[in-house]
Amino acid sequence: MGGSLYQRIEKECEEHISSALRSLVGQSPDLVVFLSLVEKCWQDLCDQMLMIRGIALYLDRTYVKQTPNVRSLWDMGLQLFRKHLSMAPEVEHKTVTGLLRMIEGERLGEAVDRTVLNHLLKMFTALGIYSESFEKPFLECTSEFYAAEGMKYMQQSDVPDYLKHVEMRLHEEHERCVLYLDALTRKPLIATAEKQLLERHIPAILDKGFVMLMDGRRIEDLQRMYSLFSRVNALESLRQAISSYIRRTGQVIVMDEEKDKDMVPSLLEFKASLDSIWEESFSKNEAFGNTIKDSFEHLINLRQNRPAELIAKFLDEKLRSGNKGTSEEELEGTLDKALVLFRFIQGKDVFEAFYKKDLAKRLLLGKSASIDAEKSMITKLKTECGSQFTNKLEGMFKDIELSKEINESFKQSSQARTKLPSGIEMSVHVLTTGYWPTYPPMDVRLPHELNVYQDIFKEFYLSKYSGRRLMWQNSLGHCVLKADFPKGKKELAVSLFQTVVLMLFNDAQKLSFQDIKDSTGIEDKELRRTLQSLACGKVRVLQKLPKGRDVEDNDSFIFNDGFTAPLYRIKVNAIQMKETVEENTSTTERVFQDRQYQVDAAIVRIMKTRKVLSHTLLITELFQQLKFPIKPADLKKRIESLIDREYLERDKNNPQIYNYLA
Amino acid sequence: MMRRSASKKAGQPNSTNSINFSPSDLFRTASSRASSKEMERIDNLFHSYANRSLGMIDPEGIETLCSDMEVDHTDVRILMLAWKMKAEKQGYFTLEEWRRGMKALRADTVSKLRKALPELEKEVKRPSKFEDFYSYSFCYCLTEEKQKSIDIESICQLLDLVLGSHFRAQVDYFIEYLKIQSDYKVINMDQWMGFFRFCNEISFPDFSNYNPDLAWPLILDNFVEWMQSKQT
Repeated sequence: MGGSLYQRIEKECEEHISSALRSLVGQSPDLVVFLSLVEKCWQDLCDQMLMIRGIALYLDRTYVKQTPNVRSLWDMGLQLFRKHLSMAPEVEHKTVTGLLRMIEGERLGEAVDRTVLNHLLKMFTALGIYSESFEKPFLECTSEFYAAEGMKYMQQSDVPDYLKHVEMRLHEEHERCVLYLDALTRKPLIATAEKQLLERHIPAILDKGFVMLMDGRRIEDLQRMYSLFSRVNALESLRQAISSYIRRTGQVIVMDEEKDKDMVPSLLEFKASLDSIWEESFSKNEAFGNTIKDSFEHLINLRQNRPAELIAKFLDEKLRSGNKGTSEEELEGTLDKALVLFRFIQGKDVFEAFYKKDLAKRLLLGKSASIDAEKSMITKLKTECGSQFTNKLEGMFKDIELSKEINESFKQSSQARTKLPSGIEMSVHVLTTGYWPTYPPMDVRLPHELNVYQDIFKEFYLSKYSGRRLMWQNSLGHCVLKADFPKGKKELAVSLFQTVVLMLFNDAQKLSFQDIKDSTGIEDKELRRTLQSLACGKVRVLQKLPKGRDVEDNDSFIFNDGFTAPLYRIKVNAIQMKETVEENTSTTERVFQDRQYQVDAAIVRIMKTRKVLSHTLLITELFQQLKFPIKPADLKKRIESLIDREYLERDKNNPQIYNYLA
Repeated sequence: MMRRSASKKAGQPNSTNSINFSPSDLFRTASSRASSKEMERIDNLFHSYANRSLGMIDPEGIETLCSDMEVDHTDVRILMLAWKMKAEKQGYFTLEEWRRGMKALRADTVSKLRKALPELEKEVKRPSKFEDFYSYSFCYCLTEEKQKSIDIESICQLLDLVLGSHFRAQVDYFIEYLKIQSDYKVINMDQWMGFFRFCNEISFPDFSNYNPDLAWPLILDNFVEWMQSKQT
């Protein structure tokens, strides 16, 4: 009974479904209308089958369940529908085409009936023909659509707009999946869109827009680029673009000799901008962070030595007094930033040499803005490079502090109270040789009073620290003189050389160049510079006859009795304090000399322990030990020099091997 | 064989004073007489060229010897002669050195010496001897006390003389390079020997097996670089 009822229902259903589908053949050429007819047909079927199932519920629950190979009534309906749909391929084809058109229409901005889409796609799923009949052609269509769109848009719009568009498209496709596509379609669909819109255009996008975005610090656009690129595994290309961008931009900053003055500030600014882009746009990607570091290290070492020197100079400017208006914190921040650049420098010894020279000037001339800041900088350098690096620098501070105490106790001493000439006050810095930069000794014949003073101090000092040797560094001395000009009393802050020259005019109105030279004993070039500063500079306490910028052999000098100045205390800028080109090159040369010694010492050290070592291994060990950039050729030179000086010999039987000669 | 050992013994101071005459002694005395005759002639020849006050053959004496042999005094064979004598000081032969050389060459007259020269040349060209000769020629040119290197000008002449016939092309280019470069004013023993190894080991002129990372003296790195930049 159940079987025959089931068969009769099936037969009825089949007839009905078959005619319903057949009636769709040749229907409306308008796809939208056609789709709604199909939807209606499907909807009716669903309603009808539900109804039949409701009526024949008992059949469905007993006969169908107990008999193998019999479908439930609902499934039977679906199966019949699928069968007759496949017998009317035109209907299926038209439906699919219609759906694809609709979606394309929606992509192009048309409003479409999403409910129809939703229902029909559910129908495909229910019939089990979704992926074969719909999804495949749909993905193909999508691919074609975005391939064409990608090409067109890449040409038409600039990169930021393009990226925005891509982002929007991906979002839309995502929505589409939520609204009417099957959930499983999402992955391949998004992948297809990404591939056509992004992956294919990665090089072009970078080429066309990356530099512009970086130059313009377009944080948001770069962030978009980063997140889009990360979707298609293109971060490596982006990373490479960053690397070459930094190198190219940095090279311009570093290699332009005319802009040396701005190099450090420009680099700092560049670094800061990169850092903020890295944080905000590139989500602090670790590989990117390393790339930024590597590229920076590369570019800052493009030029040997000069960047190291300029960083030292930059710090000098910041640590020197006269930088009013910057707070402690701001200064601290600047130091930290400069330290970041310092970290990239390969020739740290060059930095040290220049830093030390400037620090010496700041300490000796009392020019330091803040001893706290100075010390904090030393601590930073110590953390960065170890105490060996800052040993001497710290020694300099100690010298200054100790000198203060020595001066105090000198003032209290009996020698000072009984023997000192009146009217002079002196303060002495006792500097340990080796801590400080080397200063070339410069002779000068001091006025009697000063000589006496020096001798008494010397006596005092040596009585306290016997066995030491005191040498006066005349070029570093500076004095404050009281000057009685007819138009007013002044105090002059001058160098020791200037002092010695000026004091001659206590006893004379007019002196020739030769007179001054003979009485002071100052070296010719230095004396000319000194006289120039006194008679040709801004503050003219002497007058030169005849007038002119340069000091000639036959010039003579007179006391300028018409001298006036608005201020009471006047600094007469000494030309010696400005950095001369020679001074600069000699600092660099000293660094190089020092490196040679270090290489020699390292070679001897290694060979002393190894006794016998091949050339290749020796070079490898040297590169490990030496902390500054050096070329293999330079190492060879030192090895050969040591062979020459018989510290080493080339092995008689194997020229690739060196023997240590004790 | 016998003769040799006999003459060796004859060199010992006591043997001439021996009073025990056995047949072999007789023979020994005879041969030692012959060798002392030879020695006498060698010494006489020495004295005919020696500077009396110095007790050595001096540059002037060497020039006379050369003209007697009809060989130019700058001829490489004279350097070979000095090598054979193990002469220590350039331009001078001591009696000891002279004896050493002449005996080894079996020459006690100028004409014998002259005839011995081609053999000497052959000997020097043997690879086992040549390296010794090459290094000797450098030391021979160190004329001053504690001198360890030789100026470029002299080195070029010496190279041409000693190595020119073996490695013509290498020597010519190297000399050209030495003359235009400005890094080196002198050449030391290490560089001198280095160039010899270079000629023997390195494919020329493509330098295909040259590797500057090895311990070649820097001057050769520079030379190769110069050659390569010339070639391209």
